[in-house]
Amino acid sequence: MKISREEFLSLSGMEGETLNAWIEDEWLIPSGSTVELSFSEIDIARARLIRELRVDFGVNDEAVGVILNLVDQLYGMRRTLRELRQEVWTTTEQG
Amino acid sequence: MGTVLNDPYEILGVAPTASAEDIQKAYRKLAKKLHPDLNPGNAEAEEKFKEIASAYGLVGDAEKRKRFDSGEIDATGAERPPQHYYKDYAFSEQDHPYADNSGFADFMDSEDAFGELLRRSARAQANRRGHDLEFRLPIEFIESIAGANKRLTLPDGSTLDVAIPPGLTEGQVLRLRGKGAPGSGKGDFGDALIEVEIKPDRLFTRQGDDIYLELPVTLTEAVLGARIKVPTPTGAVTMAVPKGTNTGTTLRLRGKGAPRHAGGYGDQLVKLKVVLPKEPDPELEAFVSNWEGGKTYNPREEVTP
Repeated sequence: MKISREEFLSLSGMEGETLNAWIEDEWLIPSGSTVELSFSEIDIARARLIRELRVDFGVNDEAVGVILNLVDQLYGMRRTLRELRQEVWTTTEQG
Repeated sequence: MGTVLNDPYEILGVAPTASAEDIQKAYRKLAKKLHPDLNPGNAEAEEKFKEIASAYGLVGDAEKRKRFDSGEIDATGAERPPQHYYKDYAFSEQDHPYADNSGFADFMDSEDAFGELLRRSARAQANRRGHDLEFRLPIEFIESIAGANKRLTLPDGSTLDVAIPPGLTEGQVLRLRGKGAPGSGKGDFGDALIEVEIKPDRLFTRQGDDIYLELPVTLTEAVLGARIKVPTPTGAVTMAVPKGTNTGTTLRLRGKGAPRHAGGYGDQLVKLKVVLPKEPDPELEAFVSNWEGGKTYNPREEVTP
């Protein structure tokens, strides 16, 4: 699903300036050109996580970047772990 | 889950007299520990997080807390609709711009068997088959019986040609091989799955392989018999209405129904309905008032109390 900048702002309840800053910091990486950004569901979910970190958890902006980096590495490992499990099964079945 | 009945103060571990700041503090402390995005794979944490989130949604809001304390609303009101967390997308199989494999890149480079396994898995992932894409396609009743070629416009503006086979039934799913999302590397395209929705027809209904139609006939056709044109989903055919036909008489057109799975066709059943002229007809009135037979027969024998 492709979501325009306007739709993203209304869906996430964010201010345009905040969004620009988050994109600048690469907290959010929308696709599309700089003229016309395109967002997807993962961006909305990630924006919500960032908002919860800042508003609900009182995490400061410096720490948000650190947390996002660690979270993404954690998910990278989880994805690979799942792929490995698949790979091990395949190998065992063929074995 | 009995969560809705539980006391939100108890869930957050605060006294009912706690200040707003204390409640917020207690919520933050628990949320930091239990947030599903920070605890992927821990279903218990997610359940608990939902509990504390709804508890906080209730007593973390001054207005709602007042109403809850006075018994005006109960904890049921705080139930939140299910929502998607970041983890649902970040852990999905789809590629996304936040994917980061740097956390184990060193293992990947190692020369041992584990490194080999990781590299092999990465290669397999690199040639993964694309995802299936699902679409809904509304078609006319007649198209479902006779078959049709339809063009589906996809959300991204591209089009997909779909051949509707004759005799398709409601909810049937057509699979178009290789018309789904592209795979990665040398992986195949996924399939397009098209769920067909048949619009109700003004004339025809279907039961199994048979098609039903109610067809009006004139008084003259009913009394004297006639050859009349009858619409079928595959075009009009001529049918003989026997002399003395009545409203409710059902005639069978063999082989004019829907195609059967096993081969052959169902039937079309035509239920006739005698219809008088729209405008009163003086000649008909004159005839009927002089018609003795019309005064002696009783069509209500079986419904008379």
